[in-house]
Amino acid sequence: MPKAFRKAFNVLCIAAMFTAVTVWGQANAPDKQAPARAAREAPGEFQFVRLAYAPSQYCGRGYGRQQMWRTDYPDADHHFVRGVDRLTRIAAAEQPRILTPMDNDIYDFPWIYAVEVGYWDLNEKEAGRMREYLLRGGFLMVDDFHGSCEWSAFVASMSKVFPDRPIIEIPESDEAFHVIYDLDQRIQIPSRMFIYSGVTWEKDGYEPHWRGIYDSDGRLMVAINFNMDIGDAWEHADWPDYPENMTALAYRFGINYLVYAMTH
Amino acid sequence: MFEFLFKYPREDYARSELIFVGHWSAWVLVVIAIIAVIGISVFLYRRHSFVRGYQLAAIWMLQIAMLSLVVWVLAQPTLSTERLRAGENTVALVLDVSESMVFGDAESRFQQALRSLSGVVQADAALNLSVRHYELGETATAVTSFLESQATATSTSIADSLGIVLREARFSPLAAVVLSSDGADTSGGLSVDELAAIAAFGVPVHTVAVGRTAIPEDIEITDITLPDKVLPGSTLSARVSIRHDAPASTQVKVYAGDDLLALVPVELRADAGITTARVEFEIAEAGHHRIHFSVDSVPGETELRNNSRSTLVEVANQKYRILYFEGEPRWEYKFLRRAIGNDDDLQVVSLLRVSPNKFYRQGIDTPEQLESGFPTTREELFAYDALIIGSVEAASLSAEQQVLIRDFVSERGGSLLMIAGPNGLGNGGWGQSEIADVLPLSLPPSSIPSFFRKKASVELTPQGADAQMLRFADTLDANRLSWSELPNVADYQVTGSLKPAAVTLLNVDTDIGQMPLLVTHPFGRGHAWILASGGTWRWQMSLPLEDQRHETFWRQLLRALVASSPQGVSLTAGGGSGDSNIVLRAEFRDEEFRPVDDIGVTAQVSHEDGESWSVNLQASAADPGVFTAEIDPTESGTWYFEAVAHRNDEAVATARASIHYDSGQAEYFNIRRDSAQLRALSEATGGQYLEPQDLDMLPDLLRYSSSGITEQEYRAIWDAPAIFILLLMLKAGEWLLRRRWSTI
Repeated sequence: MPKAFRKAFNVLCIAAMFTAVTVWGQANAPDKQAPARAAREAPGEFQFVRLAYAPSQYCGRGYGRQQMWRTDYPDADHHFVRGVDRLTRIAAAEQPRILTPMDNDIYDFPWIYAVEVGYWDLNEKEAGRMREYLLRGGFLMVDDFHGSCEWSAFVASMSKVFPDRPIIEIPESDEAFHVIYDLDQRIQIPSRMFIYSGVTWEKDGYEPHWRGIYDSDGRLMVAINFNMDIGDAWEHADWPDYPENMTALAYRFGINYLVYAMTH
Repeated sequence: MFEFLFKYPREDYARSELIFVGHWSAWVLVVIAIIAVIGISVFLYRRHSFVRGYQLAAIWMLQIAMLSLVVWVLAQPTLSTERLRAGENTVALVLDVSESMVFGDAESRFQQALRSLSGVVQADAALNLSVRHYELGETATAVTSFLESQATATSTSIADSLGIVLREARFSPLAAVVLSSDGADTSGGLSVDELAAIAAFGVPVHTVAVGRTAIPEDIEITDITLPDKVLPGSTLSARVSIRHDAPASTQVKVYAGDDLLALVPVELRADAGITTARVEFEIAEAGHHRIHFSVDSVPGETELRNNSRSTLVEVANQKYRILYFEGEPRWEYKFLRRAIGNDDDLQVVSLLRVSPNKFYRQGIDTPEQLESGFPTTREELFAYDALIIGSVEAASLSAEQQVLIRDFVSERGGSLLMIAGPNGLGNGGWGQSEIADVLPLSLPPSSIPSFFRKKASVELTPQGADAQMLRFADTLDANRLSWSELPNVADYQVTGSLKPAAVTLLNVDTDIGQMPLLVTHPFGRGHAWILASGGTWRWQMSLPLEDQRHETFWRQLLRALVASSPQGVSLTAGGGSGDSNIVLRAEFRDEEFRPVDDIGVTAQVSHEDGESWSVNLQASAADPGVFTAEIDPTESGTWYFEAVAHRNDEAVATARASIHYDSGQAEYFNIRRDSAQLRALSEATGGQYLEPQDLDMLPDLLRYSSSGITEQEYRAIWDAPAIFILLLMLKAGEWLLRRRWSTI
């Protein structure tokens, strides 16, 4: 056997051996999708659902960053669910979940969280789906968007969802602020950058606003947390430097919205 | 033949006693018989060498039989019969003169009855019965003859009328009553007690039935079942019973005034004497509504007045209160509240445990309501009409509170609905709680997980398909289809076996088979329900916004819960069917639903035209807190009643009721001959049920009546041809046998 041929044969054998090992390894590797599949069975009454939306042309300055809906994911989601489990009687599923507006499963989860909605861009179909979802009884909590530009971007999509429903400041007396906790304090909940800068606002969003959209029976459907970052407060609940009072307040807002959604 | 052989008819033997009237005393006959037997035996024994043993025995038996017959004739057998003494007895002829006797073919029922009674007296002139004539209607009226009688009475009460006839004749020698009637009684028929009271007079009542038992050319509305009180906007489901004797097609129409509310075609099947049609309609406005039901006539029908009936429905603006006790925030809670959010008739007051240390209240009237949690007193809990318990452990309530819930159902008459959940039903330990008996299903112990968050489809049971509260569509088929298209529920809970009176309305199809989803049963004065899923909210979220099935399900279910809930103070007006009196029944209970007896009750009775008077209601001996009175309505129309309870001259409670009453209409209904009723009357009194072709039996029935002044009649039967024929046959038989055996 020529030497070159023997060399080629050895290379082939080694390659075949690697291939076999790789295939065997893949076949016996832990199923990375298994948790997701298990989560679909919704082992709790409440499952944290994060809305995955398409990005927008950010404030007219070209396309925004991709996947802004992932902001604070997954720690914020996990931390909040544990808070719900600890502080309420709600049977909460451990695993969070991600759904797009057009996902058919969205109707099985009447509470949904959307973050950085200054970047979202719902098309007409998605807006129609969100309108149907909310009017059937779904609840949307939006968070972590700041300043007039992001507000405009948010409203641009939201007005497709509800062209005829105004966005108003949630009154102090609204049950959403009292259903479990009496949330009389209106403190701007900052992002983690506050630790370094000492500044609670971002862009030109100096004043926090708790706004909402109501249905025809006076029930809050969309809780709009503008100029604040509740998600960051959840995410950094375990950071020693992040203010504990901000995290506590963020939990309280989130839990109040959730219990409100489950009672109204 | 019988009469030829035995001299008298078979009936004479049946009603007589056999006695012996011979002049020779019994011992003389016995001695003669013994001597004769010995003589025959000795005579035959001496001949035993000439004949065989069996031949001797046969001859012996024939001779002994002949001897016995001769001795029997010598004793002079006689029939002793009790019969009316001529010229000393009375018979009451009772002629039904109600309007239903006008019906008939060539000859009306009235003419048939008149003819049958006129023949009674002439049948046995020798008996010389004196005759009393009575006309029978709502009551009995004595008349000198039936010459001027007419069938004009607007109602019939056989029991009341016969009672009068028999009481009047109590001290006279009344031999029998002969009643000629179609048996149609508008007072509700003869009860067992009434029959016993009539039979107690000891006078046989012979009934002559006239009219046809089947009238194929006529249909009539026999009954309408409809709630007398509903909430505004409710869908009413009426059951209209139509009597018919032949197959036909018709349609049921429902009117409120001139407004046609519903029209339903109905096929009357040949094999069904009564067909029940279900008609559904809505009445939105509060107030009293006279609902008129009619069926289209069938070919050849002449009596159309029994094709329609009216009834009164009160649409009440009452608000029913439901307490919902929930152990955890969940979607079922939210969507249940949303489903009935716009229902002004239902108020759901909820107590929700949102966190381990906090209850959240919704729908409360005052800040103090349920401030201390779940009610701890009867007064507090019994203020609600229904109670819903969700996903909450039994241990979260004290034993006293659980007993309260039990009393809420059994004594207050409220409804209890238990909804599945991770801490509900079996998981919550309710199967071992004080209210386990109240529930329509047994529940597994809490140690066995029974709640599963798995989607499952729901299916109507046959009973559920028939339940108004589970109607999404007008027709049964459309409704079944509508249910089959519902999305799956989000979860289900496994339960145990059904209690004896439980009814399953919905089933759920799961991985482990089909099991009950919605079950109910009565318990005491109230009802208990189980909904073995906390996931009907998926119907709301999975169906288009315009789809109202989720809302309809909960609205109708909750209305069904409260519909049977009695109020502490209530007044009902019942009866009034036919021409019977209206029965007022008032019930007074205090805030704890304990009967109130230390009161007097007066009712103001008012007719729609303004006529008004008051009556006192009498306390019921059997039912504490219940007061009753009978009202004799003087005319047709709507009657209103207001019962006021007084204590120390002070009004303490008021209740109202109303009823629609049609006077003079009763005779047009139930026009078929009621043979069973007449037969029962005759049998109970020892009389005879007769039809016109049997009238020739009547003279004998009167002659030998057991009532009145009677005498014994003796009739010899020793000379009956049958005896001599038998003697001849015995002797001829012996002669033939001897000749055959050559022993002569």
